[in-house]
Amino acid sequence: MLSWSCRQSETEVNLGAIAAGRGDPGLPLGADLVRFASAAASVRGDRAEMTAAREALINSGGKAVMIDAAAVAANFHMMTRLADGTGARYPATRLEEMAPVIDEMGASEMSSRRSG
Amino acid sequence: MTAIDESAVRPDLTAAHRQAWDSLGTPGTWWNGHQRVELAATAVAALTVDEPLPPWTAPSTVDGVLPANPAAPLIAHDAMYRIATHAGTITEPWFERVSGELGDLAYVELVAIACTVAAVTTFRGAAGLPRWELPEPADGEPSRVVPPDLVPAGLNWVRVTSPADAIAAVVQAFTSVPAENERLWTLAAAQYIPNTEMVDPHWTRGSLSRPQMELVAARISQLRECFY
Repeated sequence: MLSWSCRQSETEVNLGAIAAGRGDPGLPLGADLVRFASAAASVRGDRAEMTAAREALINSGGKAVMIDAAAVAANFHMMTRLADGTGARYPATRLEEMAPVIDEMGASEMSSRRSG
Repeated sequence: MTAIDESAVRPDLTAAHRQAWDSLGTPGTWWNGHQRVELAATAVAALTVDEPLPPWTAPSTVDGVLPANPAAPLIAHDAMYRIATHAGTITEPWFERVSGELGDLAYVELVAIACTVAAVTTFRGAAGLPRWELPEPADGEPSRVVPPDLVPAGLNWVRVTSPADAIAAVVQAFTSVPAENERLWTLAAAQYIPNTEMVDPHWTRGSLSRPQMELVAARISQLRECFY
């Protein structure tokens, strides 16, 4: 969806920076959003880093941006469990189309990879 | 440090979270309210414990992790713990074994409980808000309503309503338990994008652009090792 939305909105994005969790993803607030999402990926995680990442995002984007980023993070904690819990997979043809993005995000070796 | 309180949260988001959270205490389609709250408590504990058990260790084999004399079967708690902590490691044989013991539709509802707990708990933690207490369970029996048109799916392990695979795997995943399916998409609309706006790459609430939302989504999915 990221590559699709960027293509459709004629926005260039650096997937490698997102996958690595550092560098400039090429979007406004991009580095702060990557830091915030990285901290929010685990509920247990580093609480000090979560606090610092939240504060940085509020300072750069405001409270509403932070709240909406937390909401998107929550959504993908939900959807990843739905997908992996129910064995969701893409049709094989779709996987072929997605191959470059899968490689760039370092997802090709994930144990949750399933093909239809 | 910036103070965050409930007033910072969009009312529609609070309403969706509250409705989903409160539903954990009411009888579902396959689990009663006591079982749902108990399973949700296992999910909360799995999500928030400092050192979670590895995926190959069932919590029912470790003293003190699960409640004594649980209302739901131990295998349901084991499954809940695995889905909450290590969903990316779940395999089809594991699913077949668990759903074979619980029933495949009860399994779907169990995944849905994990989804609700993960969504609300993550949001509160990420936003710097205190965790919610689980609701008091209400008495009553599950409805055991089975949609009349369930069929095997090619794009999911679980059965879905017919026609299978006409929509994306994640969209059809919970259709066998309509109450949970409706709750999930109400949450998704408030947390992410309303379904009707999904095809609009320029849609925004005025805060994050669509690519910025997808950046957060991609990073969370990657770190959770979810290929889908």
